[in-house]
Amino acid sequence: MFISGFGYILGETFKGLYRNRWMCITSTGVVAVTLLMLGLFMLVNLNVSHITETVKEQVEIVVYIDEDADQATLNQLRDKLGSHDQVSEVDYVSSDEHMSRLQRQLGGMLEGYDTNLENPLLASYEVRTVVPEAVVSLAEEFEEYPGVSAVFYGQGYVENLFALTNVVQVIGLGLMVGLSITAVFLISHTIRLTVMMRKREITIMKYVGATNWFIRWPFILEGLLMGFVGSIVPIAILYYVYEAVIEWAVMSELVFISLLPLEMVIIELAIYLVPLGTALGILGSTFSMGRFLRV
Amino acid sequence: MVEAKNMCMKYEKGKHNALENISFSIGRAEFVFFVGSSGAGKSTLLRLIIREVKPNEGTLKVFGRDVARLPRHRLPYLRRNIGMVFQDFRLMEERSVYDNVAFAMIVIGSSRKEIRRRVPHVLSLVGLKDKAKSKITDLSGGEQQRVGLARAIANRPAMIIADEPTGNLDQGTALDIMNLLRSINLRGTTVLVATHNREIVERFKKRVLYLDNGKLVGDEQKGIYTNVH
Repeated sequence: MFISGFGYILGETFKGLYRNRWMCITSTGVVAVTLLMLGLFMLVNLNVSHITETVKEQVEIVVYIDEDADQATLNQLRDKLGSHDQVSEVDYVSSDEHMSRLQRQLGGMLEGYDTNLENPLLASYEVRTVVPEAVVSLAEEFEEYPGVSAVFYGQGYVENLFALTNVVQVIGLGLMVGLSITAVFLISHTIRLTVMMRKREITIMKYVGATNWFIRWPFILEGLLMGFVGSIVPIAILYYVYEAVIEWAVMSELVFISLLPLEMVIIELAIYLVPLGTALGILGSTFSMGRFLRV
Repeated sequence: MVEAKNMCMKYEKGKHNALENISFSIGRAEFVFFVGSSGAGKSTLLRLIIREVKPNEGTLKVFGRDVARLPRHRLPYLRRNIGMVFQDFRLMEERSVYDNVAFAMIVIGSSRKEIRRRVPHVLSLVGLKDKAKSKITDLSGGEQQRVGLARAIANRPAMIIADEPTGNLDQGTALDIMNLLRSINLRGTTVLVATHNREIVERFKKRVLYLDNGKLVGDEQKGIYTNVH
């Protein structure tokens, strides 16, 4: 017959899930689809920010030194750059170094160029900033320094990169919020139906003196289970999808795209999606219970 | 057990009072009928006692505590001391007789052992010992109300509140149910019955509180239904 207390609550949870199995499967499926979209976007977002971070780290300001500047001005310039609180690193690159880099980059194209002739390239300081976003304003500042002939930081390209990163983050946040609200709504709707089917039972429970928590627990556990399963399924799907994507990237020799490793991404997804799904399930069931407990 | 002082109750603002300036006192182990036509305020009074609703004015004390001031989380403990019996029985129809009675004990956290001992006992008190495994839908109306009674007394409440317990039953069956309520009362449980079954009230000769249009118009020991009407 019956088992009492905690056993009863667990029993009721599974009975409730079984009695409304189609509704539960439907709403678990909806949660899974919602979280799948969310996870898919997170996957893209994680990789986009990984790529942009990598690129950002390479962003630097090249300060070309005026040929005609005297040694004192140059020393002053070096000290000013080195002691600036926004600057993390300053490297001096001589005009000879520039030349050999150019030769490396262009390969054989410079062959025959007589290196004994006067080197037309300017010496420079390569400056790395503490925050990549500070590049634009710092570059403007450095241009005014005495002994500087020109400043280069990938004008235009850098601004676009930062703007893109921001847009991706804003869209991601918007999607997360929107999809989460949808999931709460759907779960609470499902639980509300199961609550309504058991309204008579709940009324009786109230009359014989059951506490609200005793009534609530089976429904909360139902929501929790639906949310949990609804988050595990998309993670499993995304695991195989991402595995395939990585394989494809390797096969296509898309070496210039540095994708994040599979395990790391899936763990990251699980850290977000499992608590989120479970919380959504609990939230959804709590939402739909409130009204029925005010007897 | 129950003490009302100048109690008023309105369901909505601006509407007329469902109960007006009601005062009475009910002691331990009393048997009291609340009589009056539909809408006189009988059910409202019972709903006030189990704190489904709160009085707008005056005070209502149940077991010596002002129910209006009872915090929400204490309500279950008030209700564990009151057994409710309803006109429409309010049973879980797809479950067995045993399960319906055991349910009341499970939700307040009784031990399995206690439930196994207590349920057959209360079922034999109401004469349903042999029907423990029957489904509610296989029972007659009178038998269903016996299950309702068994459930109400399962947790040994100090008071039974019955709202038209015989409203859906024929006269013979109604008398059986009332006799059961009387025997429960004889064991020391306070019993409050709202009814408009004149014959039963006259036959049992218990205390009667008359309600008419929200007002208490009579309170008589060994009352006769026809005294007022």
